[in-house]
Amino acid sequence: MLVFPGDVVKDVKSVKGVTVLGPGVAPDGSTVRVTRAGRLHAKPPNTYWVEHDQKRYVPKRGDLVVGIVVKKSGDLLKIDIGGSEPASLSMLAFEGATKKQKPDLQVGDLVYGRLLNAHKEMEPELVCVDSYFKAGKLGPLSNEGFLVTVSLGLVWRLLEAENPILEAVGKAAPFEIAVGMNGRVWVNGRSVKDVLNVVRCLEVAERHDDRTVLDFCKQLK
Amino acid sequence: MSKLKSSCKLGILSRPDGSVLFSQDETTVVAGVYGPVESKANKALVEKACVEAHFRPKSGLPGVKDRLNESIIRNVCEAAIATAMYPRTSVVVVIQEMQNNGQLISCALNAACLALLDSGIDMKCMFAAVTCFIHKDESLVFTPPINEDQVKAMFMFVFDSVEKSIIASHTDGSFSVEQYKDALSLCKEECANMFDFFKKSLTIK
Repeated sequence: MLVFPGDVVKDVKSVKGVTVLGPGVAPDGSTVRVTRAGRLHAKPPNTYWVEHDQKRYVPKRGDLVVGIVVKKSGDLLKIDIGGSEPASLSMLAFEGATKKQKPDLQVGDLVYGRLLNAHKEMEPELVCVDSYFKAGKLGPLSNEGFLVTVSLGLVWRLLEAENPILEAVGKAAPFEIAVGMNGRVWVNGRSVKDVLNVVRCLEVAERHDDRTVLDFCKQLK
Repeated sequence: MSKLKSSCKLGILSRPDGSVLFSQDETTVVAGVYGPVESKANKALVEKACVEAHFRPKSGLPGVKDRLNESIIRNVCEAAIATAMYPRTSVVVVIQEMQNNGQLISCALNAACLALLDSGIDMKCMFAAVTCFIHKDESLVFTPPINEDQVKAMFMFVFDSVEKSIIASHTDGSFSVEQYKDALSLCKEECANMFDFFKKSLTIK
């Protein structure tokens, strides 16, 4: 259902007096109002949100993002994650990092990290380890790769578990990808041609539905 | 009375977060919205977002009249955007005039609303602006006469989409209280068409 700012969400259900409101809906007194134009989604029993294909990223706690190092000062890095202010990342928040042995990161390098904290009144905080101090897939991204910026709507599509786009692209040539919730996508492959094929697929996916992208992938050699 | 012909194209610019090419009658503007972005230390507000408007004339540098337009756009946008959701940030609205056939300011405001909707920034309500003119022969029209000397007065009203109440009113020229009331009720009817147009444009996208 398409909704617009100011619309009242009808028949809001709650469980034990609790209703979960996601992006695009906000409480207004005893009613719930829509705050952006888009499609209203409801997940039973009590969750509501509005989906809109945005370009600007607003940091959310727990999001996996691709960031660019913009400043180095002592043990702290400032990382541009596309939000309204740069996030801070401690040099010690990498797997196996100590005061003496820190990761080798320069201004302009890319990192894949998780947002530990993203309160709107405070500077966002990134980490490159999980709660067991293991890196997993997080950490610095190789300089070999290629960075592209896509809309947030495409990121959500790519990250859906059953989405066929990335699998279809992988059939043409193997590649490595890091999709950030902030709309930044890092791609690496065996050759420049493989990388560019992935980038072209992402450009097609930006404007067309999944089926068109799959047809496009079949044409890739 | 003939209605105004509006048309728009959303997302025409690649760099801003929301953009629109909007025309009403012969008047055309391009609007772009950036936000929420980092604001300058001297402009940042602790409890809400700072709304900035920039109005670029067709040629040359912005003058005194453009500053007035900027302040109108800034005030109306600030009333509509849910500024409390983005503390310590800025929302920048940039309007580029392309062609002016009299109703430039209402066209700029409508374009700003569409660009804000396109950017997906949280808003309390939508807004629509309507301009109407009083002819020398006391008739009330939406399209201005070809000759500017024929205009006796000009009204510009902005309405919100929730309560359909008036957010801003700007007038120019001489008129009676009755004429003001007539113009207000006429513009109120027309603003419903504008909201329908906004919804239709966003649905197509």
